[in-house]
Amino acid sequence: MALIETLNIGQKYGGQDVLKDVSLDIEAGEVFALIGPTGAGKTTLLRLLDLLETPAAGSIRFDGRDVTANKSLRLKARRRMAFVLQKPVVFNMSVYDNVACGLKWRKEKEPALRQRVNQALELSGMAQYAKRNARTLSGGETQRVAIARALAIAPEVLFLDEPTANLDPVSTAKIEEVLAHIIAEGKTTVVMATHNMSQGQRLAGRIGVMMNGRLLQMGSPGDIFSTPGNKEVAEFVGVDNILSGVIVNRDEELVTIDVNGALIQAISDYPIGAEVHALIRPEDVTLALHKDASSARNTFEGSIAKTFPIGALVRVEVACGFPLFAVVTKRSAEDLDLAVDKKIYATFKATAVHIIKRWN
Amino acid sequence: MTELWDGLVTALKLIISFDPEVMAIAGRSLAISATSSTLAALICLPLATVIHFNKFRGKRTLINIIQTMFSLPTVAVGLFVFVLFSSAGPIGGLDILFTPIVMVIGQVILISPIMLGLTISALSGVDKSIADTAVSLGASRFQMAAVTIREARFAVLAALIMGFGRAISEVGLSLMVGGNIQGFTRTITTAISLETSKGDLELALALGIILIVIALIINIVLNRIQQR
Amino acid sequence: MQRKVTTVILSTLVIASLLIGFAGCGQPRLKVATTTSLYDTGLWDYLEPMFEEEYGVELDIIHAGTGIALEYGMRGDIDIIAVHSKSREEQFVADGYGVERAPFAYNYFLIVGPPDDPAGIKDMSPEDAFQTLYQSASARFISRGDDSGTHGKEKAIWASAGYDYEEVRTAGRWYVEGGKGMGATLLMASEMGGYTLTDMGTFLSYQSELALVPIVQEGAILLNVYSVIAVNPESDPNTNIEMANNMVAFLTSPEIQELIGNYGVDEYGMQLFAPCAGAEPMS
Repeated sequence: MALIETLNIGQKYGGQDVLKDVSLDIEAGEVFALIGPTGAGKTTLLRLLDLLETPAAGSIRFDGRDVTANKSLRLKARRRMAFVLQKPVVFNMSVYDNVACGLKWRKEKEPALRQRVNQALELSGMAQYAKRNARTLSGGETQRVAIARALAIAPEVLFLDEPTANLDPVSTAKIEEVLAHIIAEGKTTVVMATHNMSQGQRLAGRIGVMMNGRLLQMGSPGDIFSTPGNKEVAEFVGVDNILSGVIVNRDEELVTIDVNGALIQAISDYPIGAEVHALIRPEDVTLALHKDASSARNTFEGSIAKTFPIGALVRVEVACGFPLFAVVTKRSAEDLDLAVDKKIYATFKATAVHIIKRWN
Repeated sequence: MTELWDGLVTALKLIISFDPEVMAIAGRSLAISATSSTLAALICLPLATVIHFNKFRGKRTLINIIQTMFSLPTVAVGLFVFVLFSSAGPIGGLDILFTPIVMVIGQVILISPIMLGLTISALSGVDKSIADTAVSLGASRFQMAAVTIREARFAVLAALIMGFGRAISEVGLSLMVGGNIQGFTRTITTAISLETSKGDLELALALGIILIVIALIINIVLNRIQQR
Repeated sequence: MQRKVTTVILSTLVIASLLIGFAGCGQPRLKVATTTSLYDTGLWDYLEPMFEEEYGVELDIIHAGTGIALEYGMRGDIDIIAVHSKSREEQFVADGYGVERAPFAYNYFLIVGPPDDPAGIKDMSPEDAFQTLYQSASARFISRGDDSGTHGKEKAIWASAGYDYEEVRTAGRWYVEGGKGMGATLLMASEMGGYTLTDMGTFLSYQSELALVPIVQEGAILLNVYSVIAVNPESDPNTNIEMANNMVAFLTSPEIQELIGNYGVDEYGMQLFAPCAGAEPMS
């Protein structure tokens, strides 16, 4: 039995659907990341899961009991969770008192209270700030106080809404370190929302992709990144090559797709005549100056349309009957002496092509 | 001019020498107004919290009415309380007209709108995330309200002090329902009005100075609070 | 530590002021509504401790005009009234609000005004003086205008002089309705350089503060009799009739009658009130 189960929950603000038909199971001890663009409904879903709001539709079960509407059950369940808001606010009191709040509300007695507060402050690296008024802290410090405040109550479930949004890289690293520590202990179920995919990938065991108020796809980070369920997810998780085509031939699992006259080979179950998208991650595309006899089935001759650097990598757009994006290291870009209009061969394996059905 | 000057000198002597009559009247004023302020606060704080944290039809209208009642005329409240507690009135059987008790009741009615209205706006000034944060950390509704009040504590305290200021400075109500009985219901303001009508300016001035000092202290405290 | 000290000091202050503020709330009390002219002379301040000592009761003196005092009596808000308006007192008793009218002191009203007597009414009869004031319509007359006993007497003089009071009220700017107690009205007349009708007691006790002198003192109509009336327990079951009767007995007792007769003589060189228990003077 999952720790949190939602069935078709939805929420409306001012008559507008902000969340629709979300059914989600979260297992005790797992780390679940909700990713999706801003406005996708991640925060609303977290607020519903943390029982801050009641859903307009559907039901929520926590630890086997229906907590959709029952007030006292909701308070009891909520007291087993903690939520760090996207823009955390601290109470106008000392850092220590802030962190002690949750425990005081649970009628925790001294000396256990003091011990747990100090532990949480220690863990979040805020021990030396204990006596400071929390309102005087910087953004990153405030975020750490908020996390310490949540950790002090030793929640079974910890909700984090964009824990590192708007923070500088150093603060982000500190927060992620704290989170990694909590996750490593394995005692806490963590549900976090982030628009930072790589953060989701780094921290989460399972990812759910949200867009326009819906939960579009759930799976391991690997699954989501390699086999996005539809075009929108594919775009969001960074699949740059989304090619529309029709299956024209099939040989067992191997299909041939006609994309603007270019033929791409891939692995798929869809029948001949199916209208599909072929998704190819740019890092799966290799570039070469000469056509070589590799096992890769898809090799296209084209010319370089554009190059631009991304950090230590270079993104290359190849015109080969259709635009194809590839990513190479800076070193290989120099070796290949990449330049616009240069003739080039782009190659990717049939297994690197992910086929999804086209709707509309 | 000499009359005023002599009056001031005598008045200051009365204050500095802790003249028993002046001190008794000032103490009585403070006690009655402090009691009504405390009672009004006990009523208004929870009520303001309930109004602030609940959504209901006509909430906006209710708040407008409360704000309109900020400037309730003291004599109107006085008349209302007099008719209510007069022996011939609906609850005249209590027999508390012309006692400090009925003055307290009247002042509670008089200052409650101010305390209520200003406390509601104080609570509205608190970031909504405070309530969310409290609830997410496991606060019950009561604990959530308490922490919100705590966040707004300076503004709430200012609201309560405003109420006290109105209570201690009003005269019409105290005169009408208290009866200005010497040694029993005579307060600073009713004594000033009586002594002035009797031409006894020294006592009136002494009490006036005390009232102004109280008002000054209230203002200083308010300013201090609002600067935080 | 500092906090503790502050708490102790604060709570001591609170308790102390509460003790002062609500002292006597539980004690037996007698509520007297009295005409301002009796109050402003200080007679009640003089008699109050004696009565309280003798009967072990807290005396609450609420000073108001005769009209308001009668109104308090009708509503049952006080236990006993001390007023000066014979016809209205008799009506009050006849209507069942009061037990019995007990006259206990008298003096005379007088018309006071600026020493130069701009209207030239000195030593006229009260009626003639009022007529002259009305006709000249320039010298100010300050009326109590508060439905008090003195105000009632003023109306009676206007009527006796042949005027309809409503006409007088609206006759012009020379006629001023003060709406205040006797003492305040005297101060107002003095400030404005006008005439007013006052009882002797209040005038004497305020004389030092006033630029006013007696102008008209003779005339049967100026008689001013003060009475006490206990509120009828049949009209107000809550009334403290026992103590109210004590008050009537107290005021009409020979010893107190003598004290009333002597009150203020040393200070003003003349009698403020003449005792008259059991022998009401007739005009």
